[in-house]
Amino acid sequence: MTSQYNFKKIVIVPTAKDFIDIVLSKTQRKTPTVVHKQYKISRIRQFYMRKVKFSQQTFHDKLSTILTDFPKLDDIHPFYADLMNVLYDKDHYKLALGQINIALHLIDNVSKDYVRLLKYGDSLYRCKQLKKAALGRMATIMKRQAQSLQYLEQVRQHLSRLPSIDPNTRTLLICGFPNVGKSSFINKITRADVEVQPYAFTTKSLFVGHTDHRYLRWQVVDTPGILDHPLENRNTIEMQAIAALAHLRAAILYVMDISEQCGHTIEQQVALFESIKPLFANKPLLVVLNKTDVIRLEELKPEQKTLIQGFINDDIPVMEMSTLSEEGVMAVKTEACERLLAHRIEVKIKSKKVEGILNRLHVAVPKPRDGVVRPAFVPENVIKQRLTKEPKPKKKTERDLEVELEDDYSLDLKKNYDLPADFKYDVIPEFWEGKNIADYIDPDIMAKLEELEREEELRIESGVYDKEEEEMDDEEKEIHRLAGKIREKKAIIAIESRIGRSGGAPVMPRAGRKRERSVSRLRSEFEELGVDMSNKSGAHFSRTKSRSASRPPIKKARADSTGRVSSSSRVTPRDQSGIRNVELKAKAKKMGHKAQGKMNQFGKAGEADRHIAVKMPRHLYSGKRGIGKTDRR
Amino acid sequence: MAVRVQFENNNEVGVFAKLTNNYCLVAIGGSENFYSVFESELSDTIPVIHTSVAGCRIIGRLTVANRHGILVPNSTTDQELQHIRNSLPDSVKIQRVEERLSALGNVIACNDYVALVHPDLDKETEEVLADTLNVEVFRHTIAGSVLTGSYCAFSNQGGIVHPKTTVADQDELSSLLQVPLVAGTINRGSDVIGAGLVVNDWSAFCGFDTTATEISVIENVFRLNEANQPSVITTDMRESLIETLT
Repeated sequence: MTSQYNFKKIVIVPTAKDFIDIVLSKTQRKTPTVVHKQYKISRIRQFYMRKVKFSQQTFHDKLSTILTDFPKLDDIHPFYADLMNVLYDKDHYKLALGQINIALHLIDNVSKDYVRLLKYGDSLYRCKQLKKAALGRMATIMKRQAQSLQYLEQVRQHLSRLPSIDPNTRTLLICGFPNVGKSSFINKITRADVEVQPYAFTTKSLFVGHTDHRYLRWQVVDTPGILDHPLENRNTIEMQAIAALAHLRAAILYVMDISEQCGHTIEQQVALFESIKPLFANKPLLVVLNKTDVIRLEELKPEQKTLIQGFINDDIPVMEMSTLSEEGVMAVKTEACERLLAHRIEVKIKSKKVEGILNRLHVAVPKPRDGVVRPAFVPENVIKQRLTKEPKPKKKTERDLEVELEDDYSLDLKKNYDLPADFKYDVIPEFWEGKNIADYIDPDIMAKLEELEREEELRIESGVYDKEEEEMDDEEKEIHRLAGKIREKKAIIAIESRIGRSGGAPVMPRAGRKRERSVSRLRSEFEELGVDMSNKSGAHFSRTKSRSASRPPIKKARADSTGRVSSSSRVTPRDQSGIRNVELKAKAKKMGHKAQGKMNQFGKAGEADRHIAVKMPRHLYSGKRGIGKTDRR
Repeated sequence: MAVRVQFENNNEVGVFAKLTNNYCLVAIGGSENFYSVFESELSDTIPVIHTSVAGCRIIGRLTVANRHGILVPNSTTDQELQHIRNSLPDSVKIQRVEERLSALGNVIACNDYVALVHPDLDKETEEVLADTLNVEVFRHTIAGSVLTGSYCAFSNQGGIVHPKTTVADQDELSSLLQVPLVAGTINRGSDVIGAGLVVNDWSAFCGFDTTATEISVIENVFRLNEANQPSVITTDMRESLIETLT
C-alpha cells in the first residue's frame, strides 16, 4: 500500500524571472501575432484583449497549481504538520503561500482593469500600449514574489526528499540520547542502511526502515538523538524526534547506553527519560539497554542498578542487547512488535471494527455426518521428503530447456505420454477418407479383431474356401459373351461421343440438327445387332395416318397486310404490334429514331449515370488546408 | 508449501491450471515459466501435463477433476481428449459431458470424496460426476453465489471459501465436505478463491500478489506441512489477521 503522504509529486516552482519568461513566451506562442492598423478597431481591440487575458490565465493556472500542490498544514496529519513546522517554520510557509495567493488575485484584477480599458482603445497604438502596460504590471507583481517562490522551491526540494512515513501503520520508534546506538539497531533489524559514526548527531533527520514480523510489515523510524534540556532550547534536529514521538502512534524503544560510552551517564539518561515521559503516554514502551558487550546490567554499580530498577518498578519492561554482538537484538524487536500488536488489537476490538471480519477469524470444524473415513492422499515420496527435509535435487525443467535451445525450442506434448516408448510418437491422422477417426474408436476393438480372426481361421480350417469354381454351361457362356459385347459397344459409343463433342462445342437443339433418328435407321441398326424387326406392327414404328389428310381445312387461312399467313401462335414483334400497315410502320420507325436523337447527341449519358465533372477542383486543393476541405464529398 | 506463481503476468493461476492428487494439468502458454514452476514442484510425484480444452487456455475453469477422474466440457476436441487420455494414468477416468453450464470448473468444486455443485446443474451431469469422480454430490451456494467452483477451493484436508461466507454457512459447508473451512481471500484481497488458488493434499499454488498472511492461512488450513494446523488461524494468527483486515 502506498502512503497517502507523498510529497514527491509537487511541480517545480520556477524563480520569479523564469516564471515571467515562461508566461510571456507562452503568450507569444499561443496567441495570434499579426495585426494591422487598417483592421477594424473592434478586431484590433479583440487582438490585444486576447493577449492580456491569455497571460492572466497562464499566471493564474501556474499559481493555483502551486497553491494546490503544496500541502495545507491544517489538512495533513499532525505529525507532518508538526514536522513541517519544525523544518520550514509554519509562519514562513503560510506567509509564502499567502503571498502567492495575493499575487494571483492582483494579477486577476490587473487583467480585469486593462481589458476594460482596452474596450475604449481607439487606435492600434493605444491598444498596444495598454497591453504592454498590463503585461508589465503583471510581471512586476510576480517579480515581487521572488523571495516566496525561492523559499517554496527549497521547501519543495526538501519535502520530496523526506522519508515516506505512514503515520497510521505499525511503527517502532527508536529514541534516546545521541550516540547510544539507535542507528545501529535500525540497521540490524531493517535494510535502512543509516549512517553510523562514533560521534553525536550523526543522524540529523528521521530515517525509515521496514521489517517483517508475524506476516506483517513494520515501519521502523530512527530519530536523531535528544539532549536533556527544556523544549524551547531544542534545535531543529531534536525537534524532529520530538515531533515523531508526539504524533506517531508507535511502540517506543528508549535506547540507553549502559556503558556510558556515549558521554552521558546513566543518571542523565534516566533524567531525559523522565523529562520526555509525557510523550510516551498511551504507547507501548520498552527500555533497551544497549552495549552489553562492554558492560552487563548485573556488573553495574548498585546506585546505577537502582535507577534501572526504577523502570521495572514502574512496570516498564527493560531489555538488554548489544548491536555489536547482535545479542538480544531480535528479542528486542520481537518484544516491541508483540507489545505494539497487542496494544493495537486491544484498541481495534474496543472500536468494534472487528465485528465485520469475525467470520474470517473462524475455522469451521466438521461434525462427522457418517462413519466414512476420508483420508488425505499424500504420496509416499512427499512424506519422505518432508521428513528428511532434504532439498530436492535440481531437475532440468522445460524452462531450462527453452532457455538453452532459444529459438529452436518447440513444445513436445508427447514427451510425457503414459505409453510404451515405441508408439509414443506414432502419427495418427485426425481424418481418414473423410471420416473423423475419433468417431470410430472402440474400446473393444482389439477383442473384436481377435474374434474376427478366430472366425476366419475356423472357416479356413473347415474348408469354406477350398471348393473350385463351378463350370458354366453353354447358355450362360453365351450370355456372358453378349454382355461383354454390349459393354464394349457402350464404351466405344461413350468415347466417340466424347471425341465428337471435342472442345465443348455448343450443343445444338435437335430441331436445328441434321435428322439423326429415324424409323428406318432404327430398324436397320437393330437388325444388324440381330434383333428380328420384321413383324412389329404393334410397336408404333410408323406414324399413324393423320385424319386431316382426307379433309379440306375448315377455315381459309387469313393473310395479313404484308401478305403473310399468321398462325395463331405467333407473337407480333413489339415494333409492329398495333400498326395498321407498312406505311405506318415506316413512319413510326422514323419518329422513334428522331426521339432518340437528343439522347445520342449528349453522348448517351443519362441522368442516372455517375458523373464527376472535375477531379480535383483547384480551390479545394491549393494553399493551406483547413478542417474537412480536401474531401469534397 | 504454497508457491506464488504467475501466468503471463496474470495472477489467476486457478484459471490456467488444474491440480489433483494424481496429476496436474497446465495450460499451454507463450513460455514455459508457468509450467516449469509446477514441473519442478510436482513432477517427481505426479505427471504434469500441458493441455488445452476447446482450444482455450482457461482449462482450470472449464474442467473439473480429482484423483479418480476428470470431466471436460463437450466443446473439447477429440484430439485434446486423446491427448489427455494418453498423458494420464489408466486409473483416471475421462469423461466428456453435455452440460449447458460448460465452464465446469466454475460450477463444480470437488475433492476426492465430495463435490459442491451449482444448483442448476443438469441431473445427468450430476450422475456422470458422481460416477466418474467417485464423489458425493451436494447442490449448494457459497456466500449467496451459485458459482461454487469459483468461490471456494478445498482439498481432502481443508478448504477456503468466499470471505463473506457467514459463520453458520461455514459450519454447514464444513459438515457437508467433512473438512475444516475458513473464509479468506487470495491475491491481496481477491474473493475468487477458485481462480487464485490451486491446491491438492500436499501442495498449493497461488497468484503472485498473495500476501504473507494469506499464504500462512493457506498453509495452515490445507495442512501443507506437518506443523500446520487449521486451529493456528484462530490462535497464533488471530492478531495478524485482525491487524491486516481492519
